[in-house]
Amino acid sequence: MKISFNSVMPVPLASIEHSDKSIWGNDFTLNKGEKVVLNASSGKGKTTFTHTLAGIRKDFDGDILFDNQSLKTISPEEWAILRKEKISFVFQDLQLFPKLTVAENLRLKNSLTNTYNDDQLKHFLSELDILDKWEVKSELLSMGQQQRVAIIRALTQSFDWLIMDEPFSHLDEVNTQKCLKLIDNRASELGAGFILTTLGDYHQFEYNRELNL
Amino acid sequence: MIKKILFKFQNKTQLIIAMIGAFLGFTFLIVSIHYLIRVNEFGQGEEILGNNTMIVQKQVSSYNSINLAKTDFSKKEIQHIKDQSFTASVQPILSNSFGVSLQTDSELVPYFRTDVFVQSIDEGFTKIDPKKWKWKEGDEFVPIVLPRDFLVMLNTFASAKGIPQVSDDLAKTVGFKFTLYNDDNKEWQKAKIVGFTNEVSAILVPSSFMEYGNKKFPTETPAKVTQLMLSVKEGSFGDFEKFLKQRSMESKETSMIVGKLKSVAGTMFSILIAISIITVFLAGLVLVQYAQLLISKNEYEIKTLLRIGYSPALVTNTITGYFIKVFAIISVFSIAAFIGFKFLIDFLLQKGGIQISTSYTVLSISAVIIAFGLYTLVNYMNAKKGVLKSS
Repeated sequence: MKISFNSVMPVPLASIEHSDKSIWGNDFTLNKGEKVVLNASSGKGKTTFTHTLAGIRKDFDGDILFDNQSLKTISPEEWAILRKEKISFVFQDLQLFPKLTVAENLRLKNSLTNTYNDDQLKHFLSELDILDKWEVKSELLSMGQQQRVAIIRALTQSFDWLIMDEPFSHLDEVNTQKCLKLIDNRASELGAGFILTTLGDYHQFEYNRELNL
Repeated sequence: MIKKILFKFQNKTQLIIAMIGAFLGFTFLIVSIHYLIRVNEFGQGEEILGNNTMIVQKQVSSYNSINLAKTDFSKKEIQHIKDQSFTASVQPILSNSFGVSLQTDSELVPYFRTDVFVQSIDEGFTKIDPKKWKWKEGDEFVPIVLPRDFLVMLNTFASAKGIPQVSDDLAKTVGFKFTLYNDDNKEWQKAKIVGFTNEVSAILVPSSFMEYGNKKFPTETPAKVTQLMLSVKEGSFGDFEKFLKQRSMESKETSMIVGKLKSVAGTMFSILIAISIITVFLAGLVLVQYAQLLISKNEYEIKTLLRIGYSPALVTNTITGYFIKVFAIISVFSIAAFIGFKFLIDFLLQKGGIQISTSYTVLSISAVIIAFGLYTLVNYMNAKKGVLKSS
């Protein structure tokens, strides 16, 4: 799935002057398979970008196209299909269910597509060193552990794009590298791309493309 | 898993209170509708006169005997009664001004002959099949409705003669014969019983026969209207009785008692239905409010479910399904309570000598199904709105 931005300008950012290279107000296309980084300091609109792509925010001028369909014409039911099959997200606030265990959080997402079985889910947890948290409620995990659960949850479906909003903000470099490797492998396996927003750190990864705000 | 997220961690006190309220409302609603129907049915089918229909006449006093007061109704008086709020319809009862006698005309019963008094009432006041209740000159027989006392008398006579007595069904197959006469002429007409009455003391005949007799055998005494056939509106027996007292009129006591009882019981059950509907409505509001509160408290969970790929329809249906179970529990318990109440009330009524049908009324059960459907529909719309708001 191709993502095209046509002079997109979020209403709250309309009064700010943006550079010629900014994603706001300009036209550009992201092709499937591209590994993209969006590097900017706080308050520049990274979350606005991911929330707009996720269909959460609708207060923008211009248009965003998924292939040839305008994002503005997508119905709530169509969004559900897109979020299940085409685009996966790691939100900045993670959006886990605090009362559910790690296993339940992962199964809840995985049950939509039955992509993995419990053993495979446990394998992901093991790769990120949190297998012992399988039966622990999410609300009892540290922020770093919750970030890793949210990343694994985003991988338990097939997708064309994985959109991540500062997914490693609470992780040390070792765990960040483990997560990035897992994400890169999964994206490559699916022939998919990802967009990662970050606060100035490229995490020693070679991206295909960098977007600016 | 969605159910666990949405419902497991909620405080259920408000839900339980609303369920109890709805249960009471549903139960009262079924019971009151059921017994309102049964009360209105009470007494039907036993009499040829229509529901709430009775004969009224002026009370005979000493003044009548010395010709100072009239017992007949003028056109103005009939119109005045017609204009009363309790009157559904009113018709004068026509009496014969010609001579008439009735005799048996069958080998099944002994010969019996007597002068009789015949009256005719409009077919709209009877429950007799209109196809049977008509007569024209040349017809094989005149359909008649016989006072039951007349049959009792006939049977007493049969018993005294050592002849088998006649049942209602057999009486309908027995041939009778009218003799119509005045000072100059005489004529015979065959007659057949089509029904019996406890309310009227005269033999009833179709209006066309009465007109024929009055025309063909005129006498010098003109026919007077001394009785009226009157249908009282449902639940208006209080006003009707008051009117009769004020105007020194009377009606047959048994009809009045049944009518009054039906009026009082009908009013009581109507009030109970109104209270039940209000209770069902209020309980419904509390349940809807609980559902709204549930959606509102779960706003984060619903948003997150939608953001990870769950469809709004699935989330809506999960919420609706939960409340369908709640409403189903309320309905089943209400119907069970109704069955219990019905058993008890029917037993008490029968013990008190009031025979009413013990079968279930479709409308009362339908009321629960309708209330269940309305609750479900409102809840579905409410859930859909709440979920889409989160999308």
